[in-house]
Amino acid sequence: MELKSIGFLKEVVKIFRIKEMGAIIGFIGIFILFSILSSEFISWENLLSTFTMAAELGLVAIGITMLMISGEFDLSVGSTFAVVPMVLALSINNGINPLLGFILGITLGAFIGYLNGIITLKTGIPSFITTLGSMMFFRGILLAITGGFPITLLEHIPFLKYFGGTCIGDLRYSGIWFILFSIIFAFILERTQFGNWTFATGGNLVASKALGINTDRVKLINFIICSLMAGFAGITTFSRFKIIDPTLGQGMELEAIASAVIGGTFLSGGYGSIIGTFLGAFMIGMIRSGLVLAGAPAYWYRAFIGVILVIAAIINIKIRKKIAG
Amino acid sequence: MINNLLVEMKNIKKNFGRVQALRGVDFNVGKKEIVGLLGDNGAGKSTLIKILVGYEKADEGEIYFEGKKVSFNSPKEAREMGIETVYQDLALVNLLPIWRNFFLGREIVKGITLSIEEMKRITSEYLKEIGIWVRSPDETVFFLSGGERQAIAIARAMYFGAKLLILDEPTAALSVGETRKVLEHINNVREKGLSVIFISHNIYHVYEVADRLVILEKGIKVGDFKKEDVTPQEIMNIIAKAAGVILKEV
Ligand SMILES: Nc1ncnc2c1ncn2[C@@H]1O[C@H](COP(=O)(O)OP(=O)(O)OP(=O)(O)O)[C@@H](O)[C@H]1O
Ligand SMILES: [Mg+2]
Repeated sequence: MELKSIGFLKEVVKIFRIKEMGAIIGFIGIFILFSILSSEFISWENLLSTFTMAAELGLVAIGITMLMISGEFDLSVGSTFAVVPMVLALSINNGINPLLGFILGITLGAFIGYLNGIITLKTGIPSFITTLGSMMFFRGILLAITGGFPITLLEHIPFLKYFGGTCIGDLRYSGIWFILFSIIFAFILERTQFGNWTFATGGNLVASKALGINTDRVKLINFIICSLMAGFAGITTFSRFKIIDPTLGQGMELEAIASAVIGGTFLSGGYGSIIGTFLGAFMIGMIRSGLVLAGAPAYWYRAFIGVILVIAAIINIKIRKKIAG
Repeated sequence: MINNLLVEMKNIKKNFGRVQALRGVDFNVGKKEIVGLLGDNGAGKSTLIKILVGYEKADEGEIYFEGKKVSFNSPKEAREMGIETVYQDLALVNLLPIWRNFFLGREIVKGITLSIEEMKRITSEYLKEIGIWVRSPDETVFFLSGGERQAIAIARAMYFGAKLLILDEPTAALSVGETRKVLEHINNVREKGLSVIFISHNIYHVYEVADRLVILEKGIKVGDFKKEDVTPQEIMNIIAKAAGVILKEV
């Protein structure tokens, strides 16, 4: 009897010590809150469209989570989110094979990540500054090329359906990609050598180097992953709207970082979770649609996210002080 | 003679800008020998071992390991040859569990996946063998005491078949009881046939376990004694004299 109850207690403690506990509790809390505030909130229709919006942000947030855990930042994801589909849109509009346009766009995404990484690692400038620079640079390029006007897709391209089109009911393919990439990167992070090195690099750079880990390479790969995911996310959004607005993706970097932090990833690196980020991005989506359904003016959305973000960061600091196993 | 040496460093020089950290140091470690490396702050002890393991490059000098000339480009290369270092600031990642730390950089993988259960099992085994008990290999290193952290780093070295174990101030921040345990671990390591370089400011700790004592001061070797030939008081006098302090005779 005694032993059994101790075993049970241990299991409970174990559950509460999983990394994503904060995110799970927050997620449930927000879900319940908006379910009470609006009866439409828990309709399938709303949940699926909320999930779609969350997915486009979440794809960006997955990449940023990997990079943040390795101890770096990327503020340029919003610009990458716009220029990658811009290349695709311009290719199609100029009669280039859409698949080639897709490859060109994705290649540009990888290049932006490579550039961010190389400059940061070779010069020792904080990535906060490097990527602030590239955020402005690539936004500027976008504005220069478009002249500040939206680019509209001139042709119907069937394969874009598989990025932003609907798949079952209101669920869009972007949602499927989001789930797929979440699983892939959760696996990479928790179960592969590269994931282990990503944690170690962000957790203790000097020790990781001393143990022979090529930390620069780990970071560089994560810079590239981050930009690739941002570019890919941009393509899903573009496939939904078939238009590139010059402001596309502006402010996205902060929401993506917020998703990661709400999901339990440390700003200081070395700790975090893809599942947490998944929930974090979904939570931000719920707040957005929940506030609209509850009849709050759209402006409240940012304020609400701000509050949640600060609360999450405070919880993270507390966790850092008594790290869960 | 040469055959009995595991490490032979000859005329090692190293400058950091205008700081002459090492000015032509000869330093040897025999097989199964524990060498204590002593000297005041900034004497060049850490720099000497960083050069040995390839963390820094010497400006001048030669290094032989097991009689062969070597020049490691990274600690990783040194590790592959069997030189394991436990740094002053410990090469452990606090936010990660013990087992991930134990295998960091040398994970057991099957295909692309980590063999998590196997690594946990080995970690538990080796920690038991070295005589420390932790609740579980999943425990975060953050929760462990300074002595337990040292033990993990030492156990790790033993598992990976190191020939030379380098300990940079392993007892610096430890309680008396924990220091005892770490000194025991070092004696354990000798019985397993490893050589040890033991850096410390505490002459008594070094004296207790070392076979030989080497004293550095301002980048120069000012003493090299077999333990039998010297007393702790004499060593203290040498260090103080080299640092320009004159101790009163007691
Ligand atoms: N990377 C570096 N850049 C510049 N100077 C350095 C560097 N590493 C060491 N030094 C200098 O070289 C000298 C020797 O340093 P070292 O760390 O080897 O001393 P130490 O004997 O290990 O001292 P302690 O007992 O305090 O650890 C010091 O003057 C130190 O400031
Ligand atoms: Mg030192």
